[in-house]
Amino acid sequence: MVFVKAQKSKAYFKRFQVKYKRRREGKTDYRARIRMINQDKNKYNTPKYRFVVRFTNQDIIAQIVSASIAGDMVLAAAYAHELPHYGLEVGLTNYAAAYCTGLLLARRVLKTLEMDEEYEGNVEATGEDFSVEPAESRRPFRALLDVGLIRTTTGNRVFGALKGALDGGLDIPHSDKRFAGFNKESKQLDPEVHRKYIYGGHVAAYMRTLMEDEPEKYQTHFSEYIKREIDEDGLEEMYKKVHAAIRADPTPKKSEKQPPKEHKRYNLKKLTYEERKAKLIERLNALNAAAGNDDEEDDD
Amino acid sequence: MPAGHGLRSRTRDLFARPFRKKGPTPLSIYLRTYKIGDYVDVKVNGSIHKGMPHKFYHGRTGRVWNVTKRAIGVEVNKQVGNRIIRKRIHVRVEHVQPSRCHEEILQRIKRNDELKAEAKARGEVISTKRQPKGPQTLASW
Repeated sequence: MVFVKAQKSKAYFKRFQVKYKRRREGKTDYRARIRMINQDKNKYNTPKYRFVVRFTNQDIIAQIVSASIAGDMVLAAAYAHELPHYGLEVGLTNYAAAYCTGLLLARRVLKTLEMDEEYEGNVEATGEDFSVEPAESRRPFRALLDVGLIRTTTGNRVFGALKGALDGGLDIPHSDKRFAGFNKESKQLDPEVHRKYIYGGHVAAYMRTLMEDEPEKYQTHFSEYIKREIDEDGLEEMYKKVHAAIRADPTPKKSEKQPPKEHKRYNLKKLTYEERKAKLIERLNALNAAAGNDDEEDDD
Repeated sequence: MPAGHGLRSRTRDLFARPFRKKGPTPLSIYLRTYKIGDYVDVKVNGSIHKGMPHKFYHGRTGRVWNVTKRAIGVEVNKQVGNRIIRKRIHVRVEHVQPSRCHEEILQRIKRNDELKAEAKARGEVISTKRQPKGPQTLASW
């Protein structure tokens, strides 16, 4: 049946209250954000740092952010697309890559704050729960995990990034309940399973099963691995090398960018206030001059 | 049954959020810092139910005397009978705004300090006192 009066009237729009922009985009949970950013008033201007982890389809973003009225200030950032500099070129959004990204961010932050000698963190990734011990001179760098809108299930990749940052030497309050390898029945973390995930053991296991059962799918799915001659036994070695490379030099690499190309302009450029006033004066002068000529002719 | 004089009686419009401003509060409210001695306006945010002052204090201005984890202690004048009492209340930060009542004085202090420094450099003695507007001449009409 066709309803005639289904449209939204002018009154509807006049009364409509838009949600905040980032809520409309579905990117920010303001209820959680208020509670994360709120700093105790008797701590005045002490910044409260968040360890932000976000996953896109092809990238991982890890940042240390503090909030201000002008906008959030990013202290340091690490992306999974930087990992090729450290020797990891494939599988940039898996659990192991998340671990590497978290580790890279932690080492980077500690280096900029000149705390990297004091707080080595966990050099050999064992999968056990590791928390930073406070050193004698300075207290460790504290940040709070900000997962955003993802569902925090056991074994999620954000906790891989969290583990990377913890092993890198940051102080992030956490529990081992959501790490990969936590057993719900026994309520204990199995460090062996977690270690497997950190070194891509789950990817290697999948590679093995595919090679046996469906070789064609293996060829299509892991084509980039095959191209770079990475097989399932070499994964652990590769990740160990990446961890070492990250610890050796976590500073970001500056890339060369060309100046932006000049494009042809297809529409007219808007005139400034001065230009518009000048144009008006010109037009009036021309009009007066023409009127002056007419008057003279009439007089004559 | 009579209406009753509860804590939030007669606040239906006073504590209501303005038109099209309901829902989450902007984050800048939480990022402001207050120091002891600042002047603040008390303005109730009806959507935050904790730490609300009594309706009397809505619209009052006072000085900060205490800063706690989530709230500010404000000292406000209240007339009780034939005298004015300095009342100390604790209010959550969502119900408080920094007051501009003191802004003009602080700017004047800064400018006067600059003028005095300049005059000292020149060796003059100047008066930075404010003068009242005198009687107006016919020309100024």
